[in-house]
Amino acid sequence: MIQVNALNKRFGSIHAVKDISLEIPAGQIFGLLGPNGAGKSTSISIMTGLIGCDSGSVTLDGLNPQSKKARLKIGLIPQSIALYEELSALDNLSFFASLYDIPKKKISEKMEWALDFVGLSDRANDRVSQFSGGMKRRLNLAASILHDPDYIFMDEPTAGVDPQSRNKLFENVLKLKELGKTVIYTTHYMEEAQKLCDKVGIIDHGQLLALGTVDELLSRYGGDTKVSISSEQGVKHFESGDVSKDLIEALKNSNKVYDISMNRPDLETVFLNLTGRQLRD
Amino acid sequence: MNKILALMKKDFKLLFRDKMAVFFTFVFPLVFAFIFGSIFSGDGGGSKALKVAVVDLDQTEQSKAFVEQISEADEFTVTLSTEEKAKDLVRRGKRVAYFILPKGFGEDYKGVFAGSPPEVLVGIDPSRKAEAGYLEGSLMKLGINRFEQAFSDPTAMTEQLDASIAQIQDNDDIPEEWKSLLNDYLPKMKELTAQEIGSGEGFGFGGEEGAENPMMPLKVTKQEEVVKRSGPQNAFAITIPQGVIWAIMGCVIGFAISIVQEKTLGTMSRLIVAPISRTQIVAGKALGCFVAQIAVVTLLFVVAYFILGVRFNLPKLMLAAVASGICFVGLMMFFASLAKTERSVAGITNAFLLMMGMVGGAMIPLFVMPGWMQAISNFSPVKWAIVAFEGAIWRDFSYGEMMTPVLILIAIGVVAFILGTRMVKLEQA
Repeated sequence: MIQVNALNKRFGSIHAVKDISLEIPAGQIFGLLGPNGAGKSTSISIMTGLIGCDSGSVTLDGLNPQSKKARLKIGLIPQSIALYEELSALDNLSFFASLYDIPKKKISEKMEWALDFVGLSDRANDRVSQFSGGMKRRLNLAASILHDPDYIFMDEPTAGVDPQSRNKLFENVLKLKELGKTVIYTTHYMEEAQKLCDKVGIIDHGQLLALGTVDELLSRYGGDTKVSISSEQGVKHFESGDVSKDLIEALKNSNKVYDISMNRPDLETVFLNLTGRQLRD
Repeated sequence: MNKILALMKKDFKLLFRDKMAVFFTFVFPLVFAFIFGSIFSGDGGGSKALKVAVVDLDQTEQSKAFVEQISEADEFTVTLSTEEKAKDLVRRGKRVAYFILPKGFGEDYKGVFAGSPPEVLVGIDPSRKAEAGYLEGSLMKLGINRFEQAFSDPTAMTEQLDASIAQIQDNDDIPEEWKSLLNDYLPKMKELTAQEIGSGEGFGFGGEEGAENPMMPLKVTKQEEVVKRSGPQNAFAITIPQGVIWAIMGCVIGFAISIVQEKTLGTMSRLIVAPISRTQIVAGKALGCFVAQIAVVTLLFVVAYFILGVRFNLPKLMLAAVASGICFVGLMMFFASLAKTERSVAGITNAFLLMMGMVGGAMIPLFVMPGWMQAISNFSPVKWAIVAFEGAIWRDFSYGEMMTPVLILIAIGVVAFILGTRMVKLEQA
């Protein structure tokens, strides 16, 4: 389990993380959502031990993330393609594997498994510079799971990825969950979070604005469903908190219904309701 | 340690995958040393005349005439000198050899048929065998002129015959039957010479072998004059340390950029999150840079030794290489701490090292710099690295003398490394 208590981090005058507290149970996919500059990457950096915090605490299974034991449990997929472009996929994996205490005999086995996991076994000896964006993203994931970590932090792993590679990454994330791993996933794409995450936290201006399952957030912050009924009497619009009841009532008063459309609130609605519609540059 | 070695191995792989980096680290310094060495060594078709010092101890008409012949010969560039000064010039490598015309040279020069051939003492370093052979041959060629003079000038020939007849009379070493033969032959020869005056055909010349054969053009006696190796053996001895500096600068720039690149790529995040300490990360980079420098110094000096004929003191060279390695690893770490992007670290490192290289002797040899520039060069680590390498090659430094540049280099390196490791932010900005 990851426990975050009253976390604070400042960069000069910018208060990047304000008093964040949360718990992420083991074996879950946790989505950390927020606009640009909200504090997602800073929070991830503190949780992985990449940077320290000004106050508060983070523990992974009770361990300080900067301790050696905790580091063996952490797999980080940074936002950028953190690979050596001029080396082959195998050379990259071999180097990163050498930083962990993996027995030499097992390194080849682990590399084969990781490459197979992300679907790159046939490109093992090719230089990363020859890979497409999607392949690089997948290899980025492979390099982070070689040492079989319990906690996998994915910082916007699908940025600039084609639909096929994105789909493969979704499969990988779900597979990691099946393997009992805890995945902490940051993204801009709400449909990704809605599809993958067991629990979601929405963060803005360094503050955790909402925390819960997707359904909990929808019911708390999504608002009513927008319903449109097109009939002989014309088009009727209304908002409903209980669609089944309100729709039956509305249909009773309508003759010859041509079309019914419903705009149910989704995570994006929740996100925009919480963070506003102002552009973030 | 395995993790540090893994970091170093990875950096080497990256270095060798980058063709431009390989060129500027390993090939360019060699090209630099070779081209400038060739220019300075004058192999481009310049004068081949050997610089010699000539001492005329005889001061006779014949010796003066012979000195004049040497001076006019294309093979030599002559400096007239005293015996002591001539020997000193050769010992210091300022002249290839000295010629001494001893007392009695003129007397022997006159005697074609009797006495000893005129002696020339040639002082030359025993290692310069090729030049020694060339000098002897050139002197012999000039010595033959005395026969040409004798046989083509009837008046001189008559004088030679008179002198020879007189020498035969006074010389007890000549067997009686030879004396009798020559006493019979030389007056007849004198008679014949008188008849041949004006014919212009001369008498021809044929010598016999033997050290004391008067018919030899000259008696060349070689003296060993060991050169004190206080100057560069050749131009490459100067340009190789300069080439080494260029190679080291290439390593420094490459590794400083690689540290910043790890941050911008995000690979540094992976390193920090891995169970590897910050010290190990820094040590991996430092060791990579140090080993790259040692590798390039080794390569350049192997080429210098086997191809360019540069000789050096190996232990002192190793001392210089290690000290400069420490110095430039420290500077590499310092430069990496100053910048956030590859472009800025390349700019800062290039600007600093080029400036230090210019004033430190990486472009113009230190000893040809004006005094004020040599004073400024004391502030350049490049200068001390060059001095250390030159100390091992041709400055003939003792270990005590080597300590000055070596300690300065290590001090610069340690200070820069401490500052660099304290200031460098491994975390991504």
